[in-house]
Amino acid sequence: MFSRNIVLTVLGLLVAVSLIAAPVSAAPPVKGNNQIDFENLPPKETLFSALFGAGDIPTLDPSLAEDTTSIQMGLELFVGLTRLNEETAEVEPGMATEWKISDDGLVYTFTLRKGIPWVRFDRSTGEVVVVEDEQGNPRYVTAHDFVYGVKRTLDPKTGSNYAYVNWIIKNAQAVNGGSELGDQDPLYGKVDEIGVRAVDDYTIEYTLAQPAAFFPGIASMWINWAQPRWLIEEKGEKWIEAENIQSYGPYALGDWTHDVSATLVANPHWPGTEAVPKPSIKYIHFTMLDESPSFANYEAGLADVSGVPLTEMDRVKADPVLSKELSIAPELCSYYYGFNVTKPPFDDVNVRKAFSWAVNRQAIVENVTKGGQEPARWFSRPGLTAAPDPAKDDFGPPVAGDPAKAKEFLAASKYGSADKLPEITLMVNQVEAHVKIAEAIQQMWQEALGVKVNLVTQEWKVYLDTLDSDPPQVWRLGWCYDYPDADNFARGVFRSDSGNNHTRWKNAKFDQLVDQAAIETDLDKRRALYVEAEKILVEEDAAIIPIYWYTRVQVTKPYVTRTYSIGGHEHYEKWKINK
Amino acid sequence: MGVVSQAAAAPRVKELTRPPTSLWADAWRRLLRNKAAVLGLVIIVLILLVAIFADDSVVAVFTGRDPQPLLAPRHFAKQSLENNNAIPYWLTHVFPTLKPVGVEGGYAKINDTYILGADYNGRDLLSRIIYGTRVSIAVAIVGPLVSLVVGVSVGIVAGYAGGRTDNLIMRFVDIMYGFPDLLFIILLMALFRSTTSAAEAGTLRAVLTGVDNAMGGMFFIFVGIGVTAWMSMSRLTRGQILSLKQKEFIEAARAVGARDGRIIWRHIVPNILGPIVVAQTLNIPQYISTEAFLSFIGLGVQRPTPSWGSMIADGASAIRTYPNQAIFPALALAAVMFAFNFLGDGLRDALDPRLKGTD
Repeated sequence: MFSRNIVLTVLGLLVAVSLIAAPVSAAPPVKGNNQIDFENLPPKETLFSALFGAGDIPTLDPSLAEDTTSIQMGLELFVGLTRLNEETAEVEPGMATEWKISDDGLVYTFTLRKGIPWVRFDRSTGEVVVVEDEQGNPRYVTAHDFVYGVKRTLDPKTGSNYAYVNWIIKNAQAVNGGSELGDQDPLYGKVDEIGVRAVDDYTIEYTLAQPAAFFPGIASMWINWAQPRWLIEEKGEKWIEAENIQSYGPYALGDWTHDVSATLVANPHWPGTEAVPKPSIKYIHFTMLDESPSFANYEAGLADVSGVPLTEMDRVKADPVLSKELSIAPELCSYYYGFNVTKPPFDDVNVRKAFSWAVNRQAIVENVTKGGQEPARWFSRPGLTAAPDPAKDDFGPPVAGDPAKAKEFLAASKYGSADKLPEITLMVNQVEAHVKIAEAIQQMWQEALGVKVNLVTQEWKVYLDTLDSDPPQVWRLGWCYDYPDADNFARGVFRSDSGNNHTRWKNAKFDQLVDQAAIETDLDKRRALYVEAEKILVEEDAAIIPIYWYTRVQVTKPYVTRTYSIGGHEHYEKWKINK
Repeated sequence: MGVVSQAAAAPRVKELTRPPTSLWADAWRRLLRNKAAVLGLVIIVLILLVAIFADDSVVAVFTGRDPQPLLAPRHFAKQSLENNNAIPYWLTHVFPTLKPVGVEGGYAKINDTYILGADYNGRDLLSRIIYGTRVSIAVAIVGPLVSLVVGVSVGIVAGYAGGRTDNLIMRFVDIMYGFPDLLFIILLMALFRSTTSAAEAGTLRAVLTGVDNAMGGMFFIFVGIGVTAWMSMSRLTRGQILSLKQKEFIEAARAVGARDGRIIWRHIVPNILGPIVVAQTLNIPQYISTEAFLSFIGLGVQRPTPSWGSMIADGASAIRTYPNQAIFPALALAAVMFAFNFLGDGLRDALDPRLKGTD
């Protein structure tokens, strides 16, 4: 999913200020005996997380989530049939106790855990309570809820950008409108034709269109979580608001003050499993602030965990206390710039190559990001199953760039020289770090090619909408793994029909290679196929500029015992506070 | 007694006589006597020179080559990533927390070629501050220019015509006063800036965006300031004219058959110029701070063009690690704001007719 570190937006800031101001001018809410004051949570029972960044959570709807912030929240509210271990990326049992695979590799049967109730946070009592049905009986999570979730994601009316991941399920592509016939397909919109069914209340059967070894990973994803049909049908798109939402995971949503903060409250009805234990910390409070104020809060003792702004890296590394609280480790995410290949001048492959070769990735990770990131030459993050390996594979734009070659590419393009290029706009989401990187690259292009590029920023939520509707000429994104396989990167993002492919770049050969790699079982052969595919992506067609492979750079207070995720979101139910 | 009074009277008459001076010469003399105002004037002239000669674009325009840095040690966008956040050694004496590498807990890279230090991308702070004067000075010139041309003419028309015209114009001004100017500028930026990718060639939006890009992002700041700055000027002008046009010398001019245009230009405008100049000078800091504010929140000039506002914003995020990155541009901004305020204050005293002839 798209990764953002920290987002600051002017409009967001203004809204935030007005929201902070609003409760002051209005009559203060009367706090009953049991009501929780979310602005003054007890420090011993609360983890104050400053890992979110400014700007609102885009959505809590599992069918619509596509970014790290939304999914982070979702991961605590819901649990998939399987769950990926955040430290090893291994598939572990989630809501399913076990699963069986048919001999032909096409039918997956999951057995569901029993007695896990749907819950909601009751504002009047300040407690997480079990949801009851019309007869007053507790509602337990059943196979039907999971099937409903899958069908809702794939229903073209839902408009999920992530639905394509589920096209691996039988008939799903046609139902979702992804077949060649589009909405003329006879199966279009007929969600009951999708190859998923509830055998009984606690057994779910998936039938796939083709064998896929990574399907248990897909079963862990938000697009396949159980969803409360009764609630969604009653409340429509408002079902995700704090006063409505029902969930069943280790935490429940206590409060969501848009653009300001969100608080999770431990769900006492979650029984705790080996992979998803009962939470130890009662409240998790997220503030939506940019990296610098977040880190300032951390230093002032107002936050327990925070990212580190680029400008503070030098001091944090040298500081005797902060340097011990700092953790840097690889994260399975890639940072890249994409081109909109339908917009001039980037409809010319030589211009794209010129821009890619002019970027000195080494200088960026050493002098701008400083968090031990690795300069990237292609998209699939090494460390993923079957991803190209920098120790063995040598292709893609050079790590330190090659300005001379870049000039040659530009001269070979139909424009010939920099002054004949049309106006170029680079867009990034409004985050200090992204803007700084963008400025450095803007200047690299200026120096290597003599091109003046305009830099524009947008708030995260708005930015994602822009990328969906009308991607600018050059834009920035990160991608974190959903399941730890190169398939999730190469095919998941850049196949021509992927909802996450904002380049508008299509290459039949690339599609064919990644499709072949998806069903290939031999690891070496798969890797070779991805190498070939990536060569097309970053070298021959240069549809993107790979920049670096992420590391996680965080500071944590010493009294917090935690796990360190490699994938962009944390599993807070495993954390503890020792105060 | 008679003798004494005669003897004293003669020199007194002589004392009271002095060469005839105009209002402006008189004001100038009084201005020069005001030390703060002179200091302000000197700073402004200096900044103006710095802005003009930051690079040799004065020459480069004629020869057609790219301008080279002149007063600034480097070009504002020249980055040297390996020197990111470098500081000169003398700063470690000024900021005790800014410890150089090698000292316990020290982290700052020392590079004395950056007189005030370098920013996060290794760009020279001093050069960026010097180039940054251009934005501030441009705003300090364009703001008053717009409000003079638009505000004063609207005020003159309203005040001189009077009656229904006056009423209509001033009600329009009242409405415009209710316009939330900052919000307007922000919306303007949001519309034109963040959706540039969607602007189709040939549309008005594409043209305006093109102009804005060519000006490094200053165009919309000018528009924003221009749209909102003229109103107070038109009120001031109108008020002045209402009181002037009843005066005898205007009636006399009218009696001898002077036309309206002549009355306005020869009799009215010279008499209202004083208050207008004072008001404008005192407004300039406001224009400058508006620009700095917009750049601070990221809606001002476009990166990498430096503006003190955006430099302060960038520096603020590093203030505990590299305080120099925020403090120096802030000092520059403060100096210019003070200079204009002092000068405006001095001008007001100098141009006050009631103080005429006093020492």
